[in-house]
Amino acid sequence: MIIQALAFYLFSTVLIAAAVMVISARNPVHSVLFLILAFFNAAGLFVLMGAEFLAMILVVVYVGAVAVLFLFVVMMLDIDFSALRQGFLRYAPIGGLVGIVLLVELMWMATVWAVAPGASEVGVARMPAAAQIPNTQALGLVLYTRYVYVFQAAGLVLLVAMIGAIVLTLRQREGVRRQDIARQISRPRERSVELVKMPPRAGV
Amino acid sequence: MAEFWTNFAWPTVTITAQILVIVVPLLVAVAFLTLAERKVIAAIQMRKGPNVVGPFGLLQPFADGLKLLVKETIVPSGANAAVFVAAPMLTFALSLIAWAVIPFDAGLVLADINVGILYLFAISSLGVYGIIMAGWASNSKYAFLGALRSAAQMVSYEVSMGFVIITVLLCVGSLNLSDIVRAQETVWFAIPLFPMFIIFFVSTLAETNRSPFDLAEGESEIVAGYFVEYSSMAFALFFLGEYANMILMSAMTSILFLGGWLPPIAVAPFTWIPGPIWFVAKISLCLFVFLWVRATVPRYRYDQLMRLGWKVFLPFSLLWVVLTAGVLVATGWAPR
Amino acid sequence: MAKDILVLGPAWPEVFLACAAMALLMLGVFRGESSARLVSWLSVGALAATALLLSGTTPERGLTFGGMFVIDSFAVFMKMLVLLGSALAIVMSLDFNEREKIARFEYPVLFLFATLGMMMMVSASDLISLYLGLELQSLSLYVVAAFRRDSIRSTEAGLKYFVLGALSSGLLLYGASLIYGFAGTTSFAGIARIMVDSAGDMPLGVVFGVVFIAAALAFKVSAAPFHMWTPDVYEGAPTPVTAFFSVAPKIAAVSLLVRVLVEPFGPLVGAWQQIVVALAVVSMLIGGFAAIYQTNIKRLMAYSSIGHIGYALVGLAAGDETGVRGVLVYMSIYLFMNVAAFGAILCMRQQGRMVERIDDLSGLAKNQPMVAAALAISMFSMAGIPPLAGFFGKLYVFLAAISAGLYALAVIGVLTSVVAAYYYLRIVKLMYFDDPVDVFDQPIGRPLGLVLAGTSLFTLLFFVYPAPLIFAAGLAAAALYAG
Repeated sequence: MIIQALAFYLFSTVLIAAAVMVISARNPVHSVLFLILAFFNAAGLFVLMGAEFLAMILVVVYVGAVAVLFLFVVMMLDIDFSALRQGFLRYAPIGGLVGIVLLVELMWMATVWAVAPGASEVGVARMPAAAQIPNTQALGLVLYTRYVYVFQAAGLVLLVAMIGAIVLTLRQREGVRRQDIARQISRPRERSVELVKMPPRAGV
Repeated sequence: MAEFWTNFAWPTVTITAQILVIVVPLLVAVAFLTLAERKVIAAIQMRKGPNVVGPFGLLQPFADGLKLLVKETIVPSGANAAVFVAAPMLTFALSLIAWAVIPFDAGLVLADINVGILYLFAISSLGVYGIIMAGWASNSKYAFLGALRSAAQMVSYEVSMGFVIITVLLCVGSLNLSDIVRAQETVWFAIPLFPMFIIFFVSTLAETNRSPFDLAEGESEIVAGYFVEYSSMAFALFFLGEYANMILMSAMTSILFLGGWLPPIAVAPFTWIPGPIWFVAKISLCLFVFLWVRATVPRYRYDQLMRLGWKVFLPFSLLWVVLTAGVLVATGWAPR
Repeated sequence: MAKDILVLGPAWPEVFLACAAMALLMLGVFRGESSARLVSWLSVGALAATALLLSGTTPERGLTFGGMFVIDSFAVFMKMLVLLGSALAIVMSLDFNEREKIARFEYPVLFLFATLGMMMMVSASDLISLYLGLELQSLSLYVVAAFRRDSIRSTEAGLKYFVLGALSSGLLLYGASLIYGFAGTTSFAGIARIMVDSAGDMPLGVVFGVVFIAAALAFKVSAAPFHMWTPDVYEGAPTPVTAFFSVAPKIAAVSLLVRVLVEPFGPLVGAWQQIVVALAVVSMLIGGFAAIYQTNIKRLMAYSSIGHIGYALVGLAAGDETGVRGVLVYMSIYLFMNVAAFGAILCMRQQGRMVERIDDLSGLAKNQPMVAAALAISMFSMAGIPPLAGFFGKLYVFLAAISAGLYALAVIGVLTSVVAAYYYLRIVKLMYFDDPVDVFDQPIGRPLGLVLAGTSLFTLLFFVYPAPLIFAAGLAAAALYAG
């Protein structure tokens, strides 16, 4: 158990430190790199909780794909962060006030928090013990049966996001020469090569 | 105190020993892979290749290593030093930690985790960070171009690789690598899933930035791409990482499609040979194809590369996932 | 377990619409850019077929997908309105899009997906399906708001809507997580049971959760004080998109608000009634007073729609069956008069350019008497002049408020509708009594003309035979309270 505890504190400490660095780093690229570090440690925490499938998916999807594109964009854009921060001082009091109000509300709520007495009976999807079913299988068992509706709905949301991205950004440029491989390879031999008999020392 | 010894110290020692048993032969294999590459390409081009240092040039990799070791490490003045130094370490570390889950024989694996294949996929998808960090931190346009190319390329090919892995998983019903190998006792997946095998192999070429998809390096257009500013050991780490990744990808191909440690047919003369030997033989075969491709196929243009990934492999592998799932359900072969 | 989950029966219309939208997307992709008109008409056909399927579903309450999807008379009624609103909006867009060179096949497809999201919202009976329906609808709307992507105002509208919409989704999720933390379930039925059981000592967190969810939904229906996005988005988005925004998503969000407050949080009626009253009062005031200073007709319609939402919420504030019936009647009538108004706004074209100033309407009656008459009917109806349809809408919500004892609310409602009448009637005065400044382009196009004629005739002649709508609304409201 001691090793788990050590790993937990290691992952959480690095996670929080990285998260702080994400918002405090001056260089946006460093911010993204710290974000990736934070994701990675979150995956570690998932492993400690016994949710290894979620951990791996977190790494594959967020670290391996989303954050790469994010990094890509941040590196390509020349964002002037000092310009973005210009209104910071002016809006800081209002923003801070809203933040403090929300924080006070949250703490207030947390102190009087209670779970309904009947809550455990109405809950429907319960996680099976890790020893019985590996959690990948457990997820699969409910994802495509009990939650098939929301699963498909989430798929539609992503489809709409994709259509939206294409609609708003794709432009057909004029004068671009495109390669049509089917046309290239269906070209008959006669039209492309010509066998010419050249008499010696005649030149072309 | 005795408890401390049995619970912490002794496992640490044994695990370290196991890691060394995997890593040291791996590094030796990497060294000789560089030599093999030069020899194979030389043979294909009807040259001799390295043959001066040691018998048949066998000591050449060590000479190269020594040369890199004693050179000076240069950090360009405009570079972002921390990221610049971290990038090769990351690449190298990632290429090694993936080996933790590779089964060399039945039960012969360092960490037999439930989600082994996802772990491999996750680690291989992280490889892009070493490249993109190196390219950005070098503060050089060639390096940056190489990094951008490689990032786009690796993300693109990961998608179809994911679908290929899903097809295999549908046939196995487990994410554990040993289970995947055991599921191939009757027939290797390379036969029923032949098109996916080809797609996977081509995607591994793209994933390791190997020819014909080596636009990230592209020595004839962007000098050496993302590691143009690197020298000495930093360069050596990239170099080692790239070749270790090649071996890793070959191991993945062997496990997913060529039956891992299993002999081709389970009859007498073949079963005498131990599993790890078969596994290494299959890896070597894949590596040879890597080198063969490099010597024979010209480099893809960038739009062609993207077209192949998104317009050919992705729809095709998606179709195969659906087809495989349909066949498995219709015939009742789906694993329970 | 798997067997009873995959009973598609109650959800056939949604399944059909989803498949139709994807099929039309493929059709558009393979037919190329020129297929916009074809895809549009086919989309209208798909909506009609969905409505047909919907009318064939059994009227009694049914749950499917593990209790995440509910169908009852309330849902059928609201879905019919949503389908009608979307179909009318697509028809109205046809000529506009071709003139403005934004006729692309993705446009009707996105409308279909938005409509699907709205139907899912209407049928949601779980916090998760609620959220996903809402996101499907909102995401499609963000894109169509920015559909004229070369116009700065349109992209600004899309971006503003997106950022504020994301914020409200955050509020919704936060509220939902608080509720889930208390009740241990996300299904409406389960939450309602827990709420009844622990009605005595409700912790503060639950009230917070309800407030967060109500605020997020108030944002979606653009009830003040969560209305800031409405004028900018209405002004910037292409006009037919604005017409769509002002009807279908509003109807869906109102029905979602009604269902969420009545079904799971019904036992908390004391807590949410004050919130709804406050929203209604502020919305009516903003809708009445802020619209007076507008010079742009689309901004004016934005404030007008905020005011109308205020009136609809008056019915909800009553918190009983009569009140919900009033909301349903109000929203149905609002659909027709609003479409009529936007149909007339779409006719405001001079030398091939759209104009949006209110002053441009001067003397419209002399040049285009029919369009002017339609707009006048719609304006009179919105002002609540009897015997037009809008009067009945207001009548039913105010009656419900009075029978629930909310006299002050009803009085404020009547007073603000007098204020609002000022700017509605000013438009009528401009059209009929001022001299024409410039002539609008003719002809207005047959599809638009038909929509305009149909909706204004409904608004004009509703009083002749109001029984079917009132009866259906009554049934729908009863079904909600029976469930």
